[in-house]
Amino acid sequence: MTSKVVVVGGGIAGIQAALDLGDMGYEVHLVERTPSIGGRMAQLDKTFPTNDCSLCILSPKMISCAGHENIKLHTYSEIESADGGFPKTRVRIREKARYVILSRCTGCGDCIAKCPVKVTFEFEEGLSKRKAVYLPFPQAVPRKVTIDAEHCRMITEGKCGVCKKVCQAGAIDYEQKDSFVDLEAGAVVIATGFDLADASALRQYGLGTCKDVITSLQLERILSAAGPTGGRLTRPSDDTEPKKLAFVQCVGSRDSRMFKYCSSVCCMYATKESILVREHVPDIESTIFYMDMRATGKGFQEFVLRAERSYGVRYIRSRPAEVQPASDGRGVLVTYDTGGGIGEQRTEKFDLLVLCPALVPSKGTSEIARILGVELDENGFIMTPDTRNPIDSTKKGVLVCGFAGEPMDIPDSVAQATGVAARVAELLQEAR
Amino acid sequence: MARIGVFICHCGHNIASAVAVEEVVKFARTLPDVVYSDHNLYSCSEEGLGSIKKSIEENKLDRVVVAACTPRTHEPLFRRLCEQAGINKYLFEFVNIREHCSWIHAKEPNAATEKAKKLVAMGVSKAALLEPQVESESGVIPTAVVIGGGLAGLTAAASLVAQDIDTHLIEMEGKLGGQLNDISILAPNFEKSADLLNKLVSELKKSERGHIHLGAKLVDVKGFVGNFEITVEEEGVQNKIPAGAIILATGTQEHQPEGEYGFRKAPGVVTQLEFERALQRGEVPKRVVFIQCVGSRQPGREYCSRICCNTSLKNALRVVEAGGTAAIIHRDIMSYGAAWEELYRQASERGVAFFRYSLEDKPRISAENKHILVEVFDDNLGEGVTLHTDLVVLATPLVSRDDSGDVSRMLKVPRDKNGFYLEAHVKLRPIEFATDGVFICGSARWPSSAREVMCQALAAAAKAAIPIKRGKVVTEAITAWSDPDKCAGCGNCVIACPYEAIEIVDQDGRKIAKVNETQCKGCGNCVAACPNDAMQQRGFTTRQLSAMIDALVKRALEESS
Amino acid sequence: MSDFNPTILAFCCNWCSYAGADLAGVSRLQMPPNVHVVRVMCSASVKGEYILKAISQGVDGVLVLGCHIGDCHYMTGNHRTAKRIPVVQKLLKDVGFDERRVRLDWVSAAEGEKFQRVITEFVEEIKGLGPNPVREVMS
Repeated sequence: MTSKVVVVGGGIAGIQAALDLGDMGYEVHLVERTPSIGGRMAQLDKTFPTNDCSLCILSPKMISCAGHENIKLHTYSEIESADGGFPKTRVRIREKARYVILSRCTGCGDCIAKCPVKVTFEFEEGLSKRKAVYLPFPQAVPRKVTIDAEHCRMITEGKCGVCKKVCQAGAIDYEQKDSFVDLEAGAVVIATGFDLADASALRQYGLGTCKDVITSLQLERILSAAGPTGGRLTRPSDDTEPKKLAFVQCVGSRDSRMFKYCSSVCCMYATKESILVREHVPDIESTIFYMDMRATGKGFQEFVLRAERSYGVRYIRSRPAEVQPASDGRGVLVTYDTGGGIGEQRTEKFDLLVLCPALVPSKGTSEIARILGVELDENGFIMTPDTRNPIDSTKKGVLVCGFAGEPMDIPDSVAQATGVAARVAELLQEAR
Repeated sequence: MARIGVFICHCGHNIASAVAVEEVVKFARTLPDVVYSDHNLYSCSEEGLGSIKKSIEENKLDRVVVAACTPRTHEPLFRRLCEQAGINKYLFEFVNIREHCSWIHAKEPNAATEKAKKLVAMGVSKAALLEPQVESESGVIPTAVVIGGGLAGLTAAASLVAQDIDTHLIEMEGKLGGQLNDISILAPNFEKSADLLNKLVSELKKSERGHIHLGAKLVDVKGFVGNFEITVEEEGVQNKIPAGAIILATGTQEHQPEGEYGFRKAPGVVTQLEFERALQRGEVPKRVVFIQCVGSRQPGREYCSRICCNTSLKNALRVVEAGGTAAIIHRDIMSYGAAWEELYRQASERGVAFFRYSLEDKPRISAENKHILVEVFDDNLGEGVTLHTDLVVLATPLVSRDDSGDVSRMLKVPRDKNGFYLEAHVKLRPIEFATDGVFICGSARWPSSAREVMCQALAAAAKAAIPIKRGKVVTEAITAWSDPDKCAGCGNCVIACPYEAIEIVDQDGRKIAKVNETQCKGCGNCVAACPNDAMQQRGFTTRQLSAMIDALVKRALEESS
Repeated sequence: MSDFNPTILAFCCNWCSYAGADLAGVSRLQMPPNVHVVRVMCSASVKGEYILKAISQGVDGVLVLGCHIGDCHYMTGNHRTAKRIPVVQKLLKDVGFDERRVRLDWVSAAEGEKFQRVITEFVEEIKGLGPNPVREVMS
């Protein structure tokens, strides 16, 4: 009998943990809240410091996950409950009704073309609309559609039914109910990742009040060739190409009133984005407002130097005090201190301002911690207090990898995720 | 004669709306070796798969061509179907007429149909030449070797023995622990490093799976994943250790800042590691100034060594805690993440002073009576500051070990321009080398905190355990082979191979190329490098690809006439 | 010449360009139907002989598409491609073909639009060059 392991979260950490656990011979149940695995990495255009295309390197892993003989995907699913403990935790997985029969859906998209309802597209960070029946992104795994019950007219009002009519595969089922999978897990892995803090709560930065202030993840989507603008970089106020762009680091992070910690990756992704925008608008000028330039990984410092020397990126050590819309409503005015004892306040106009908000434990993290009975640290990350076993949570047999435990970049998340496989093997060997 | 069956998919109307599917089905029947052709509404549906399987059996097909969507997602599905129908899965050929045809020529049905015909003709011509393949399998010696007995190596070895795997830990020094021996307290939790070290060593010693080799010198490494032979010299005797996987955990060394800031010339100027040893001896000076980025983040050595700021924060706090004063002169405080940022916050709150200098204006050191004077222009204040101190600690970067070049050559694994080992992919394969079966963890790859080192070590232990637990290494049959009758032994393929999978061997008095299938990744670089057409790639032979070109030309000529 | 409908062969590497072509399809990006993709694992496995064979038999143009430099799934394969294709182009030129009938470009798995652009531009270029002169000899 193979031992079963439940991995919660289908981002890069969860995917990697599932692949390595599966390769070790464990029966892995990968549980992902959204309709597709891929997580945040799927939203990124490129990755630092090599500017590798994010989906190009992620997509093969997603496909391997789906085709792996030892991995069972539970997408659009959540952990309903967990009882007992190591090495026999009874886990109940809720597979939410997606109103689509997965075995029939071929992902052809006929239903999407005909669906009359348009709603905000989460994957595109609200920059475009999707239909009520949708595929989160073209490379989604599984490549099957999901009906968003909250917005589907047939489900909410009982009228429409267009998707069912056009689906030649007979895959639409408006009567579908949530279903449950019960299993006994030897170990549970938390890989629930991060969300962006709501930067509009920091009113001084103008998100939501100035049109030309966006978040860094929105910029990723804009830069993506497969994104809402097809890779065309324009600013929201008048759809023109920005020529002067600024990034603000530590928006809500390293801030005792919001989030005390450093999110670890913003210095580098802002540097990456400041390089990438040049591929879209060759004469664009980028400025990065930062506190400490934390370029601590392999090739990071060289990457920053390249941004500075070859791409003319201007690094200004200052935390802007205020952001206001320019008088004509196009572009923004950023007021900042020029630094040093002789520093003075200066106001500079930018066409587009990109905020790099604190990255916070994803909203499912506290919920899964409650269900599994593990403790959170003061910042809401899963606590890992044992120096000897750095990926063990406070409960035996419940392990953590990636951003759910603390802020870290992709390679560190991948390393931890692979490490989880070793730790599971240690624990289950011990339990034998 | 092959018996090929061709199945054209409608994909609902995704293909059928642009491509006249039934016309293509008819066309397929005219192609050489095709004995059966049909169409399905959805080939990948239960129904579609069932009907293809039935057709294979009824018509005794020995090769299958499906023209539908992309092989990148659906090839495994149809390959499985072939196996279920009793056909070797490598006798399947996929033709993409959706992504590469109907979807991109949606408004040109005639052209799309003609193109689909050509693509099908090309696929059929290749399929006729496909050969059944056996995936090569090789055994795995159920033993792991870990090179380096510091925190990384110890953690990896402890994990492997806990997973019930025989593990040899090879340490060149006379004792285990590496740099952990020089450090008394570990940040950020201020725990005794000796406690961690003792725990790891005792776990390893009490397991009968653990084999510790102290004072052991790595002499040679031969072989490939599953079947390595590591030669180690202990007390003048060479021993050979057979192993299935190798973990490299050789650590790093501290840069010695010769000539900088009066190092080794003036008293009271030490490196961080020297200061750690002094703290271990209980020598805590009253006043300490730390200078960061000594020998790093400057021309000649551009990288940030990641851990130095955090080490200075830890040690500054220890000085303050002992009743002294501490100042950190830095260029950026690199306290990334949650725990380090908290350490930075604590240091600030407890009175550690911070001054920021720029590369253009480095701090200056001079001696005055029994003090040391440190002058720095603080960028934050915008003015010069003079500090009186008893000790100056130079935070220098971790650099690659002097002997890492030898190890790199022995294991045939690459290093980056700074001498750190180069992983297979910086983003998604941080623990692996491009060479299968050899893994990397700890600061030998990149300077890392104790916690990070341990996570990486666990990861390396997982990667090493996988082939050992599976007991075999299976290679997809897209590997290369060399035809001994054509091979002239020129060695071009050896140079072209990115994986060192090819060697020139003696056979019947002739030199010829030989591919190690376990190491081959199926890129085909050697095929194009071969001047004699001796080198071939399974599933992509020159005959198969030439046949596709011929089929395209033939159909194009038919079409134009 | 207006009805000249070129036949074009494209070698796409499995990891980037083939995936980029797939993305173009998924995104329903429209392009001329003259290009026929052959999937290879790496652009560096494309023998010069294939290109010479195709052109000498009357194929009007050959595209070789690989991962961007630095992105090769096999580390350095595409560096070899980058060296090889100009040599093939020169060979063709030396025997009287227009070397523009062969083109090397890089298309990543995220560049569906670039795939579309490369295909469209190449087809236009080949149309401008007219039919492969070999066709006259053959027919």
